Amino acid sequence: MFLKSPITTVFLVIGLLLSILIFYNSYSVNYRIPGNNEGYEPVQPIAYSHRLHAGELGIPCLSCHFGAEKSRNAGIPPANVCMNCHKFVTAPFANVRAEDELAEKEKRKPQRMISPELKKIYASLALNDELLPHPSLKPTPIAWNKVYNVPDFVYFDHRPHVNAGVQCQTCHGAVETMERVRQVGNLSMGWCVNCHRDVNKNGVNNKKVYASTDCTTCHY
Amino acid sequence: MSEYHHVKFEREQENIPHRGIDRRDFLKLSGFTFAGAFLAGCQAPSVDKAIPFLVKPEEVTPGLSSFYATTCGGCNASCGIITKNRDGRPIKIEGNPSHPISQGGLCAVGQAHILGLYDSQRLKNPVLFGKETSWEHVDTTLKTKLEEIKKGSGAVRFLSSTISSSAQRNVIAKFLSGFSDAKHIEYDALSVSAILDAHERTHGNRILPHYHFDQAEVIVALDADFLGTWISPVEFTKDYRKGKILNGNSSKFSFHVQVEANVSLTGSNADMRISLSPNAYKNFFHALASSIEGGNSSLPNVNELAAKLRSAKSKSLVVCGVNDIDLQVLTNSINHLLGNYGSTIDIEKPSKQYRGNDSELEHLFSEINDGKVSALFVYNCNPVYDIPNGNFLGKQMEKIPLSVSFSERNDETSGVTQCICPEHHSLESWNESEICAGVFSLSQPVLQPLGNTRSLTESLNSWMNVRQTAYETIRSEWQHSVFKRQNKENDFQKFWDTSVHDGFAEVEAGENIVQEFSKQSLQNISPSNIATDLALVLYPKISIRDGKHAHNPWLQELPDPITKIVWDNYVSISKKTAERFGIGENDVVEITAHISSVKRMVKLPAHIQQGMCDNVVAVALGYGRKGTERFTNIGPEWFEAEPTVKQGEFVGKNVAEFLQWANGNISYIVMQCSVAKTNEQYRLAATQEYHSLQMPKHLVSSDAERRPIIQETTFASYIKNNSAGSFPKHAYASMWGEEHPYNNHHWGMAIDLTKCTGCSACVIGCQSENNIPCVGKDEIARNREMTWIRIDRYFHEEENKFSVAFQPMMCHHCNNAPCETVCPVLATVHNEEGLNQQIYNRCVGTRYCSNNCPYKVRRFNWFDYEHGDEMHKLVLNPDVVVRERGVMEKCSFCIQRIQEAKIVAKRNGVVLHDGEIQPACQQSCPANAIVFGDMNDTHSELSQRMNDPRFYKALEEIGTRPAVGYMTLVRNSDEVRNV
Repeated sequence: MFLKSPITTVFLVIGLLLSILIFYNSYSVNYRIPGNNEGYEPVQPIAYSHRLHAGELGIPCLSCHFGAEKSRNAGIPPANVCMNCHKFVTAPFANVRAEDELAEKEKRKPQRMISPELKKIYASLALNDELLPHPSLKPTPIAWNKVYNVPDFVYFDHRPHVNAGVQCQTCHGAVETMERVRQVGNLSMGWCVNCHRDVNKNGVNNKKVYASTDCTTCHY
Repeated sequence: MSEYHHVKFEREQENIPHRGIDRRDFLKLSGFTFAGAFLAGCQAPSVDKAIPFLVKPEEVTPGLSSFYATTCGGCNASCGIITKNRDGRPIKIEGNPSHPISQGGLCAVGQAHILGLYDSQRLKNPVLFGKETSWEHVDTTLKTKLEEIKKGSGAVRFLSSTISSSAQRNVIAKFLSGFSDAKHIEYDALSVSAILDAHERTHGNRILPHYHFDQAEVIVALDADFLGTWISPVEFTKDYRKGKILNGNSSKFSFHVQVEANVSLTGSNADMRISLSPNAYKNFFHALASSIEGGNSSLPNVNELAAKLRSAKSKSLVVCGVNDIDLQVLTNSINHLLGNYGSTIDIEKPSKQYRGNDSELEHLFSEINDGKVSALFVYNCNPVYDIPNGNFLGKQMEKIPLSVSFSERNDETSGVTQCICPEHHSLESWNESEICAGVFSLSQPVLQPLGNTRSLTESLNSWMNVRQTAYETIRSEWQHSVFKRQNKENDFQKFWDTSVHDGFAEVEAGENIVQEFSKQSLQNISPSNIATDLALVLYPKISIRDGKHAHNPWLQELPDPITKIVWDNYVSISKKTAERFGIGENDVVEITAHISSVKRMVKLPAHIQQGMCDNVVAVALGYGRKGTERFTNIGPEWFEAEPTVKQGEFVGKNVAEFLQWANGNISYIVMQCSVAKTNEQYRLAATQEYHSLQMPKHLVSSDAERRPIIQETTFASYIKNNSAGSFPKHAYASMWGEEHPYNNHHWGMAIDLTKCTGCSACVIGCQSENNIPCVGKDEIARNREMTWIRIDRYFHEEENKFSVAFQPMMCHHCNNAPCETVCPVLATVHNEEGLNQQIYNRCVGTRYCSNNCPYKVRRFNWFDYEHGDEMHKLVLNPDVVVRERGVMEKCSFCIQRIQEAKIVAKRNGVVLHDGEIQPACQQSCPANAIVFGDMNDTHSELSQRMNDPRFYKALEEIGTRPAVGYMTLVRNSDEVRNV
């Protein structure tokens, strides 16, 4: 349908091309339809690898994200959880071994190897290279970038899901394969409600559950 | 034919001038522009940070609340409270259910005083000569000055309100012992010093008795607002309710008579209310005393009362709230005649909540006048504001060489002292108090002090060069004295830990020597007052009390239970007296009185009050406080807005200048005053301006039914027929087919109107829990108050008989909700557990739902209601959304609490049991009037209440099928007086 005025037609054609371009790019890192952050994969202050810890080393999700069982927010583990291991583990084993052998060959004391990412944790806790409190540094909490973020008017609670036996991977994807955490799934209301309707019919892991589809389940 | 049409059409097309774009093109363009704008909204996702603890404390889990027991600092009653902490700070206060005195209840002031913690008007540093400074500087300056005073001969005086903590008293005594002439004087702004003085005369010991209202079958109260503001209102409400149990055949119901001039909360709940002018009080009590002894009085009602009291010997209670020693001695003698001492009045285990000594204060006043005082310390009181002739005291105080205040803010008194050493808020301090003999209440800090404040104990210790914190002082005091008064626990550490955990400790009462009632005390009573023309009564409001909480917007906006007026004080006057002076509602009147030969005047708006005694006017204390000029900006800013208080002015007027000394006590009654109408008008904002449920006679025929809102009956009728007073039940057909299915829970609520006193603690509890904003006086005047629960009160006045009914109203969560059917976007729908849910993010602000609600319980956010003070945001509950402009809100039955309880129960694998979910209103109610529960659970307390014959639903005939029901209001009176 052509319009009466040629100028309007030109504008509309340009607009159409632009929108096609933008929609084509919707899976790119930067531009999205408002509210849909699927594929969001932000750079974190410390390049923590879930692939190494959860995948290779097999640490269970709830070891660190213990909040998922007890409280509404799963939470990102506080630094003292990391330090449970990293008080002793300061670098990959291979590097430490290599330094030990080199030191023995050179007949000197082995230097403590600290990988650069772990240095960031120690700095946030104001620890020096010897892992002792640094006299002049101030401890600063680590500001992680939230990947799975729902709007403020949604009161999502992890507890009923964890207690019902829903696997973390159902919503968060195969985190144990991710080097950097990425949002899998669009976290829209329809996405949540569909799963609720599904499990009311089919259960979770062959266990009968009841997931309410009341508005006040999440919105209050 | 078609030819003709074709030609006509063509011609029309030619003749229409082409104005640029035509309609269809315009729509196409705007549609596409809209789509373009939408796409332009595409953006990078907003970056939210998640910042965990560095080292997580073991007991804190983000998202979960921790609870600590401590003591309320709202007034002297020291009720036990539990604070709900989130992120290291308290956000909600609830009553402590195991506390022996307050038994889980909490009044409006207790609920609201958490807001006083997050107040930017609180001093953050000590102040010396008007400038903020450091503690070191203050300590060195003061220590030098104190050394100088020790060498001189001047007097050192420590003025405070009642301190019932022996740890604190010992530190003060130790501090004062370093001076040759030093004294600690206590006074209370709402003084009951006359009761203590009277007991000194009659029983040889200056004590305040512990009243037991639950043991009394007949209660006579002379101007004592014991359910509202007098001494220990939460405890008295709980006990009073124990004396009124409606249980079918095993009911008991006490008989309560209130004799008063002003209409008080207690008077509204009385079974019989006698309106009496203050100058007739003495005659009344004289007559009552002689009638009890067998005489016959000519005064109305006295003989019947005396007969009732005689029939309940040692099970009656006569109390007097007038601070006059003669009246108190008379009260003691009446109680003695009735044998009440030892049963309803306990003087062997007395109350220690109020110890103020007005005559010592009067003596101090004259000492300051004569310049004998070299150093004055003022703690937890505001004498320049609230004692007789306080302004003059303020001027005299400037001459004292050293004056130190421990106030938390720059108030009337601390503004004239040289040094302010701000104390912690009660929620930030270690403290303890002996509430009644043998019952100790402990306070622990529930957060780190927000400012650089220091507790009184530590300040005094520092000036004595003693290094001991408040915690250590209290702990050692307990180890040496309190711990030794019990023998259940042998290990002090265990005893201490249990006490801190519980918030209180019960130990042996200790010695208290009292003598037999001394008849000689009656000889000193001065003769009765002469009749006067117009008396003035000064009373504390249930929200503001003595003015300590005037800076708290929640309390300022809490409608007075009787008048429903907010944000101001005013002159209450009866209709007849108003006509006498030609005064109408909202007219500004000038009250003049001669107080100690000084003429005092104040201009205040008038309010016609039903039930008020003729020839008496009443004004509330606690207003006109410095610091309330901050409320100029409260409320939305728009072109028609009027400020709550004019720039630089205070909220209300201070009427403390009408107080005077009488026989060594502060008198709150002025026997002779005059009232004159001025030409000004002042609009008072009230949330309820209609007073009765009766239909106006000129509008309806004589046999029209009353609106079925409040059912009332008398106790006598109830005993004969348990469903007395019920409205006729209509059977109505329903248009709706099946009911909503409730397979799991079906939440409901039952409110017992006999229990509700109207104290409004539920209103503040709800406001605190659900982040409800304050809107300012102008918005209230436009009927835009935001509180989700309101307490309707209705009057009935007929000749000398006056009755009041209170009815809390919140969203009834109707099964056939009129609001649900009319929402165009389905923002309000019914959930599968019976709640009417309001989804804020879906609401577009049509307001059709509010239009349709018959109970008018929906609240609309007309504006973005700002908090006046940024720090107030720290009290917001993170479990509840803060609503934006344009969104409708209403009571949600505290859905956040329901969800939390359900999830925790599911996680623990247990079934939810009754009483686990308590909405904020139920939790704060001191009278247990509100009960929430599951209708599907036949054993729940709610189901029991619903099966009670007294249960009914408001406006049932409309067919809304609400989930909230009420229970008939039963009064122990002769006849029903329908409001």
